[in-house]
Amino acid sequence: MAEISNRRNQRKGYLGAAALITVLVGLYWGLLHAPPDAYQGEVQRIMYLHIPSILTAYLSFFLVFVGSCLYLWKKEKRDDILAYSAAEIGVLFTALTIAEGSIWGRPTWGVWWTWDARLTLTAILLLIFAGYLMLRSLTEEENRAASSAAVLGIIGFLDIPLIHMSVYWWRTLHQPPSILRPDKAPWENVHPAMLTALAINFVGFVLLYFYLLSLRFRLGEMREEIKARWLNRGN
Amino acid sequence: MDFLNQISLLLGKDLLLELRRRESLLMMFFFGTLLLFVFHFSFDLAPERVAEMAPGLLWLAFLFTGTLGLAQLFEGERGNHCLDALLLSPMDRGALFLAKTGFNFILMVLVEIVVIPLFWILFNLRSWDVVPYLFVITLLGTVGFCVLGTLLSAVTLKARARELLLPLVLFPLMIPVILATIRCMEAILRAGELGDAVPWLRLLVGFDVIFLTVGVLIFDWVIEV
Amino acid sequence: MGAWRFVFLAYGIVWCAILIYWITLKRRLRRAETELAQLRAFEESQSNAQT
Repeated sequence: MAEISNRRNQRKGYLGAAALITVLVGLYWGLLHAPPDAYQGEVQRIMYLHIPSILTAYLSFFLVFVGSCLYLWKKEKRDDILAYSAAEIGVLFTALTIAEGSIWGRPTWGVWWTWDARLTLTAILLLIFAGYLMLRSLTEEENRAASSAAVLGIIGFLDIPLIHMSVYWWRTLHQPPSILRPDKAPWENVHPAMLTALAINFVGFVLLYFYLLSLRFRLGEMREEIKARWLNRGN
Repeated sequence: MDFLNQISLLLGKDLLLELRRRESLLMMFFFGTLLLFVFHFSFDLAPERVAEMAPGLLWLAFLFTGTLGLAQLFEGERGNHCLDALLLSPMDRGALFLAKTGFNFILMVLVEIVVIPLFWILFNLRSWDVVPYLFVITLLGTVGFCVLGTLLSAVTLKARARELLLPLVLFPLMIPVILATIRCMEAILRAGELGDAVPWLRLLVGFDVIFLTVGVLIFDWVIEV
Repeated sequence: MGAWRFVFLAYGIVWCAILIYWITLKRRLRRAETELAQLRAFEESQSNAQT
């Protein structure tokens, strides 16, 4: 029993170390090595945070969906733990994405907030995540909380493509696209160092995400065990 | 078909109860009308502007009124272990879902039949000829609302602060319906026909179909004893 | 340059937030571990007392 947990802790440590190294390399590449953008200047470097953040946020919700489906199907506690752990970290990354998008927007568009498709969609994602976590914590009985949240996770995930479509149509049919949109990835005429920086930062973020997720998952497992032992003690 | 029989049985029961006590319906009527008054005081609804704002205001009114109805949706089953009895009976859970959705749908439609003409009267709108088309769009939007609303009403049944939690989880997920119905209604009010807004109509119908199907399939796990 | 302000602001917020979250996770884990160790020790003493 102790060897298993030691091996797992070791693997987590490696994952954390790998994440840290990749992130540091990514920071160097993004902030120093890659050249500034021709139009936006240095501010464009926020992209090396923003794109990985938003992608990990969506990855998070996908994991919530997977955990929810598995939990409803097999009713195994660890699928529920996976789902709400992914939701908690997802909230963090989604909130950060919004902050980055807002900060990027200030020098680019002159305003801290705009209802463009990308920012609006991220805000909606945050609301859905938050609703999921609130439902999970406010529902009375533990198993009920798990299955209710799982249903919401599935419905939310299925709704996201529809929300995407509707928000994008709404914004693009009524507003001319502006030249300096930070969410547009200019794949042509892009300096290769920029693409590399983006790739390194993306890998770093994903590694970091899974490292945090493994920690949060472990916490969930321990809490389950604590609960079980308290119940046994009562007998 | 046995499935349809179950739906009509459950739906009939709810309708009969509602007919006798008329709690939900009257409250929803009153609230919908009240909101129209609040809009008058909150917004500068000069005749030129009110036509533009009509779809949005109407949908706000229906959203809040519908949420009231949703909160009451499973009230009948709360006491006397009625819900447990229903679940223990050999009723298909999907039938229960469709019956509850249908019940809320009927209540909302009754309210909409009153509120839409009332809006036209109170705010002196002239375009009476497009009201039937607007009504059809509203029906499609109401289906979407009732489907998601019933699902989430059941999901939040055992949660604390349920009256606050339900709108919180429902409204973000309703955004496609809100956007689609309002865009369609705007197009109809402007030009008398859908024109460019046809993709929105398709999105709306798609939403309704998808979540009706998902609801019927998933309701087994939503309500458990 | 003015633009670097925003870059540092964004990077600063992101990495501080992630660091703080990681620290709170570690702390919650440590607390759970001690509680778990206490519970296990108690159970051992119970079973020892019975045998």
